[in-house]
Amino acid sequence: MIEVKDLVKRYGDTAAVNHVSFQVHPGEIVGFLGPNGAGKSTTLRIMTGFLPPTAGEVFVGDHSAQEDTKAVRRLIGYLPENNPLYEDLRVQEYLAFRAALKGIPGKARKGRIQEVLEACEVTEVKDRIIGACSKGFRQRIGLADALLANPPVLILDEPTVGLDPVQIVHTRSLIKTLSADHTVILSTHILPEVEAICSRALILHHGALLYDGPVSELRQGLGGEAGGLLCTVSADAEAARRCLEGVEGVERVERLATAEGPPRFHILTAQGVDVREGLFRACAAAGLPLLELTVQQVSLEEAFLSIMTQENSSEVLS
Amino acid sequence: MRAVMAIARKELTSYFFAPMAYIVIAAFLLMNGFIFSVILAALSQPGAFSAQPMLLFFGGTTFFWIFMIVMTPVITMKLGAEERKTGTIETLMTAPVSDLEVVLGKYLGAMALYAAAWLPTVFYVWALTAYSKVDVGPVISGYLGVLLVGMFFIAIGLFTSLVSKNQVVAAMLCFAILLLLILISILTFLVTDPFWKPVLQYVDLWSIMQGFAKGVVDSRSVVYCLSGTALFLALGYQAMQTRRWR
Repeated sequence: MIEVKDLVKRYGDTAAVNHVSFQVHPGEIVGFLGPNGAGKSTTLRIMTGFLPPTAGEVFVGDHSAQEDTKAVRRLIGYLPENNPLYEDLRVQEYLAFRAALKGIPGKARKGRIQEVLEACEVTEVKDRIIGACSKGFRQRIGLADALLANPPVLILDEPTVGLDPVQIVHTRSLIKTLSADHTVILSTHILPEVEAICSRALILHHGALLYDGPVSELRQGLGGEAGGLLCTVSADAEAARRCLEGVEGVERVERLATAEGPPRFHILTAQGVDVREGLFRACAAAGLPLLELTVQQVSLEEAFLSIMTQENSSEVLS
Repeated sequence: MRAVMAIARKELTSYFFAPMAYIVIAAFLLMNGFIFSVILAALSQPGAFSAQPMLLFFGGTTFFWIFMIVMTPVITMKLGAEERKTGTIETLMTAPVSDLEVVLGKYLGAMALYAAAWLPTVFYVWALTAYSKVDVGPVISGYLGVLLVGMFFIAIGLFTSLVSKNQVVAAMLCFAILLLLILISILTFLVTDPFWKPVLQYVDLWSIMQGFAKGVVDSRSVVYCLSGTALFLALGYQAMQTRRWR
């Protein structure tokens, strides 16, 4: 559906996007991750044909975003960063204008506007002047505009910025619903968002693509070493430690600082070794009640940071 | 064409949603009404030289030109500059529209407001007919002149707004170009060079408007205004295109 080939965008001497290549298949929902200034918006702008690349090519559904801009724009619903809107128009007028621009035939316009107003839950402000709408409404008006022509591809640049937690949940579920019959690319710097919505993640840092793969693997494999286990034993700290250290496969046991109550330990093992059963049996044999046994997940933030701080990105990419 | 009309309509709607259009039209009509009454009063004096009031009304006074060079930038300054400043250019240019359609749409929208400002002055003509005989021919050609000069000026204003991100800069630039064009009239009196004098006379807007007001539709004047319009629309289109080079 979308193919980005060796994309480069330079502003003077600085490369905002540096040799980025990836593909997005129909029906995928891809999270575009990266800190501010990583080149996310620049890449998206090039994909929509708004900016020309310095080198490289973008194809959307067989059309080149540079040569055949108009055809590409027809395939894309785009919500730009900061969601610029005409402040002095009413919501309904704005959408009517956008519908006309996007070539929705006159007869279908009214019905379609009604549909997107409802889908994005902005019906209640349809007669309000956009300048007087809250940030949450404005964001959803932008989203409604992106959906207007029912394009096969949706490119959403930070769609949940400025929304309150309830609206964020709504917007995310809306995007998730849309992904059923749209290809969605959304950029964000919020990791849980990608985890909540996306099936695939692209991580961009300093203009270079650091990671391209499933979100699930982002958490597991690429977090560096495994997170280990958390274990609480109702016993004397030293006795518990000796017991835990005795289990086969355990490499290190660290006592975690707890204010009071039974001691809590962080148990590290070799990659891929499961010691949970051994721990249970050892504790049971020693007569030490096992109060807690938790597999510690590597948080996405940690995975993200570790990917971004890796000097050699080629290892990660493979 | 569909997109051109959509953009023109949106521009016109925006004008009327902001106080802008009302202020422009109100100020314009107030000025013009005042000038018109002054002209009438002057011509009604016993011993006044005989002239058609509409001849003076269409470009025969300095007021006409002052108002034209002030009103044009006010109408056009936001057309492109605002889109750049607020970033709406990004939503606009990622919709399936071409640069040309955007330029033409904005131009048409601004021309519609310009025409809307002039339309009520037809009432003056009607009022005149009640008291004296009005020669319809020169009035029609006078309005044609107003339209042609307006087309030229609005094209200049649109161009200056498309090249700048700041409305004030756009307005000042437009104002400067228009002032220069008007000042050519003064130059025609000063220049004696046999080559330059006819050239300057050819582009002297003051006498061009006087020609129209007299009922003379000189094809050279028409061509001058139309080619000026086309030149600045083309420059505006180029200004839109440069975005792609960066």
